[in-house]
Amino acid sequence: MTFTKDPMDVPAVQRENNCEKGDKEKWSLFRAAESLRKRIGQAKEYQVITEKESEPQSSPVFENWLWRSDYDEALKFEKQLLKQYKGKTLEEALPGKILSNEQGQCYKISTSCITKLKTANYEESKQLLVSDLKVLPGIGPVSEQLLKKQGYTTVEDLTRHPKWKKQAYDYMKLVDTKETSSVQKWLWQRLPKSHPLLHYLAGFCQDQNFAIVDIETLGLSERPIILLGVAKPTKDHICTTQFLLRDIPDEPSAIWALITQLDPNISLITYNGKSFDIPYIKQRLAYYGINGYIDNINFDILHFTRRALKPKLTDCKLETVEKYLGITRDINIPGALVPHFYDTYLRTQNVGPLVPIVEHNRQDLLTLSTLFSKLYEEWTIDRGIH
Amino acid sequence: MIEEFIKNIKQSGSYKRQIVHIEELPAHNAIFSELEEPLPENLQNILINRKIQFYLHQAQAINKAISGKNVVITTPTASGKTLAFNIPVLNTLTRDKKATALYIYPTKALTNDQLKVLKELEKESKIKADPNIYDGDTPQHQRANIRENSRIILTNPYGLHQYLPRHDLWRIFLQNLKFIVIDEAHIYRGVFGSNVAMVIRRLLRICNYYHANPQIILSSATIANPQEHAQKLTGKEFEIISDDGSPRGKKSFIFWNPPFIGSANTIRRSTHQETKDLLTLNVLQKLQTLCFTTSRQMAELITRWTKEDLRKSKQDNVVTAYRAGYLPQERRDIENRLKSKQLIGVVSTNALELGIDIGSLDSVIISGYPGTVISTWQQAGRAGRSNADSLVTLVAFQNPLDQYFMKHPVDFFGRPHEQAIINLHNLCITLGHIMCAASELPINDESDKQFFPELLTLSIQALEQEKLVRNTPRGWVYSGTARTAEMVNLTNISSKTVTVLCNGKLLETLTLNKAYEEAHIGAVLLHQGETFICESLNLDPLIANVKKKDVDYYTEALKDVEVTIAKTYEKSDKGITVGLGELLITESYHTYLTKTGDTVINRTPLDLPPLTFSTVGLWFIVPGNIREVIDDQGLDFNGGLHAVEHAMIAMSPIFAMCDRWDIGGLSTSLHPDTNASTIFIYDGFEGGIGISETLHSKIKQLWEKTLELINTCECKEGCPSCIYSPKCGSENEPLDKKVAIIILKEMLKLHAANYRTARKRRV
Repeated sequence: MTFTKDPMDVPAVQRENNCEKGDKEKWSLFRAAESLRKRIGQAKEYQVITEKESEPQSSPVFENWLWRSDYDEALKFEKQLLKQYKGKTLEEALPGKILSNEQGQCYKISTSCITKLKTANYEESKQLLVSDLKVLPGIGPVSEQLLKKQGYTTVEDLTRHPKWKKQAYDYMKLVDTKETSSVQKWLWQRLPKSHPLLHYLAGFCQDQNFAIVDIETLGLSERPIILLGVAKPTKDHICTTQFLLRDIPDEPSAIWALITQLDPNISLITYNGKSFDIPYIKQRLAYYGINGYIDNINFDILHFTRRALKPKLTDCKLETVEKYLGITRDINIPGALVPHFYDTYLRTQNVGPLVPIVEHNRQDLLTLSTLFSKLYEEWTIDRGIH
Repeated sequence: MIEEFIKNIKQSGSYKRQIVHIEELPAHNAIFSELEEPLPENLQNILINRKIQFYLHQAQAINKAISGKNVVITTPTASGKTLAFNIPVLNTLTRDKKATALYIYPTKALTNDQLKVLKELEKESKIKADPNIYDGDTPQHQRANIRENSRIILTNPYGLHQYLPRHDLWRIFLQNLKFIVIDEAHIYRGVFGSNVAMVIRRLLRICNYYHANPQIILSSATIANPQEHAQKLTGKEFEIISDDGSPRGKKSFIFWNPPFIGSANTIRRSTHQETKDLLTLNVLQKLQTLCFTTSRQMAELITRWTKEDLRKSKQDNVVTAYRAGYLPQERRDIENRLKSKQLIGVVSTNALELGIDIGSLDSVIISGYPGTVISTWQQAGRAGRSNADSLVTLVAFQNPLDQYFMKHPVDFFGRPHEQAIINLHNLCITLGHIMCAASELPINDESDKQFFPELLTLSIQALEQEKLVRNTPRGWVYSGTARTAEMVNLTNISSKTVTVLCNGKLLETLTLNKAYEEAHIGAVLLHQGETFICESLNLDPLIANVKKKDVDYYTEALKDVEVTIAKTYEKSDKGITVGLGELLITESYHTYLTKTGDTVINRTPLDLPPLTFSTVGLWFIVPGNIREVIDDQGLDFNGGLHAVEHAMIAMSPIFAMCDRWDIGGLSTSLHPDTNASTIFIYDGFEGGIGISETLHSKIKQLWEKTLELINTCECKEGCPSCIYSPKCGSENEPLDKKVAIIILKEMLKLHAANYRTARKRRV
């Protein structure tokens, strides 16, 4: 006898290899994982729309979409990259260096670019912030007109008004002490988030200390962040620093590298960061159980862009805004395809697909700087109309 | 009043001896008991104000829960289970000003209902808990506030599955979580239950991360294995509370068999017509009645017909339908009108089987056996909440299963409740949820074994192989490109929903399968007893347009189900053919019937692309020589094949730890892919869920058990205990018990012979 198994256990079916129970289970699990992986590969968080079809509407089905031609081109580009970068190291493809911190290691890429971030100065901001009486709760357009006729042209004047003095005083105190966050919260209560005054508020920021932040992720939520970019404007330069994951274990270190760069007195500039980038970073911190904070004041310019440019654009995707601003990119992939490109990198270990991701992120940072300045100009031209 | 009513029915001229049995369930008095420790003053005041004295089971449950035990309460409907689990929660929330509690209900309708109860208790107890619902319907702008301020949150497992990855937003709530209440836990069985068991483990894992160790209170309908079920559902040990101390009025349970039409004694009058007549009688007698039907359409039709009958006496406005698919506001309105007795008759699908509070009812009509003993008693429990007498009437269908119970009523009343089965070793389910867990917190091979004692290491290996998780110094991190919760579906049923519009306004929503039946072009869609004609069914996007039109007919779509073998994983060919593989199940809706009453007045072809889903299944061939033996004796081979399929499905839960409703089957005397008589048994879920693989590996034991089941069953021609299926698509016909025995014996003989030759080869 060559086997000792209980005859009851021998299946009726003749299998090629009469494997043990554990092996069979393993085999089934691997098959289940394979089918799971296939479904994940097919699941897309964006819609590919073939041209000629009707223009994308603002319908929620099409919230995240890209053109078929761009999609096809990106996939062709990916193939080309895989060929071009075959056998190349990360350092060759994307010059940078390994950064170590208390959370581990990640890859740091630094660049610098000559451009200038334009914002209102403090005096200009203050003048605007106090001359809109509607910032006080209870004052609408009608009351404002009436008050202005009576000679109360600024909130400061209202500190002498019998009815409004208390609120006017509270507001002026925040404005005078440059409590930027508190003023922002106050204005949010009173005005739409897209109101130009909230943009002008940037003039209040201490030492004009700004950081533009943009992250790239493996998806819309609850997946690893693969690249964190930050751009800091100086007098006539913008220095970008990008923290890249060479592989998933680098994530805590890359996040840590970013948040330790952001002192509490720095003001953030983001595009949809209030609902995307910042909560995303917080979720990842909680995921890893890292005690870290990112509670800086945030100028989310998506809101302003919508107000200023929506009538002129089909949508407010950064790519569309760029076309309007006349910005062109040498290398680009649609933002929606970033997860796919990174996934290809992970699977093939070919650094090619990383190149456009890093460039895409860097360009986003620079575009945000331009957009921020451009909005300031637009408001200034429009001023007096609102 | 009930006795009078029954007497009247029996004496009326139209009575045709439909009552085949009356089971009198005697009244019993309340048994009261005291708590071991006094409650805080605010809760005592509630008891005084509401004149509440605890029944035995309530006191037992509260005592155990307050002493820190996990408790499962299994007393019948309307025995005051809700109070039994709310008191310990409120006790803790009174004593600990930060403490929070999470209530999990299987449906949104139930959360809405229970929210009201909890809000009243909060007010009376003067604690600040701000009870709130948090589910898919919760507006985005209220969510943060609820998470941060509510100490009692009500949700459902589907929601929980989605929210767990964002536990960072729930930190404060979770850190203070003292109680998890899981109501109607018997719903969580089979594949759905196995999924929910995993969601609960993920929740407990996250609680553990926030250093919370909540106590769990479960309530369940009567099932055969409450303690085991609670333990498997949550991974914790439980104290069971089952001594019902609540008072009951006398309940008369009638078995009602529709009379034969004509003299041949072969065809019975339609169950629906009988139900309609009974409901009309109940309403005219002012007995507040809830009528359960087995389908949405029947709920609507019986409502409509009853209204027509009641129009003469101008009482048609006291009857309505109630079912899934109605908008929440409509449902709440019906619930309230039922409670305030504005409605006397409500016709419902099993949507009202669960514990939605609709007050006490005098009478319940169950139109057709609902398929399980658990459901039958749940539905029957809706009658007789108070101390008054009550009536339950089970109206039989003509199918063999219902007819069996009509012939053997004593069998029904002695029948044990089914077991609630949960499989913690299902590979597909476990794998999916371990992947979800990896996107919630990095997985640690060692410390996470306490939550996933089975298959953790192997699942991680499989996920790593597919690069869905990566090993990092902090544990295994999810690295796929899709959101895990989107990839794992708790019911494993496609969630495609069709929106039904009437003049551009939302009327209701339907699953795609239901839409094929009820919202194809030309279909009569019934909504609250009104008829709508469907003008279009658009498949992309999924929208059906209907127009209100009063018609006196209804429609019924007919489908063919086909099974094709798409891919063979394993197959043996020597003497006996048993296969395992990917099956493609195709449902083609080809025709719809236009009917009035039970008469078909028209047949119209349908032009709809078939619905297909791929799954995993097993099949085996019954060789031609067996068929010849049977045919030679003049016996019904097809009936035997069909009976074997049913009985095997009935026995499958023993091997695969699933619910029989999770499995599908098909038997055919000639299948094009095998060119022979074939029986298929497959997972009723897109992509397969591991049931058939288990059954395939134990096919011999499954045959043996099935043979034993049929052989030892005392019935002559078959019964619900052996070859009748509660979910047969062809009305349990044809079925042949004797032939089934022959087929199974022959298959086992072949298997043994095959095994002997295999052994010879090996030696």
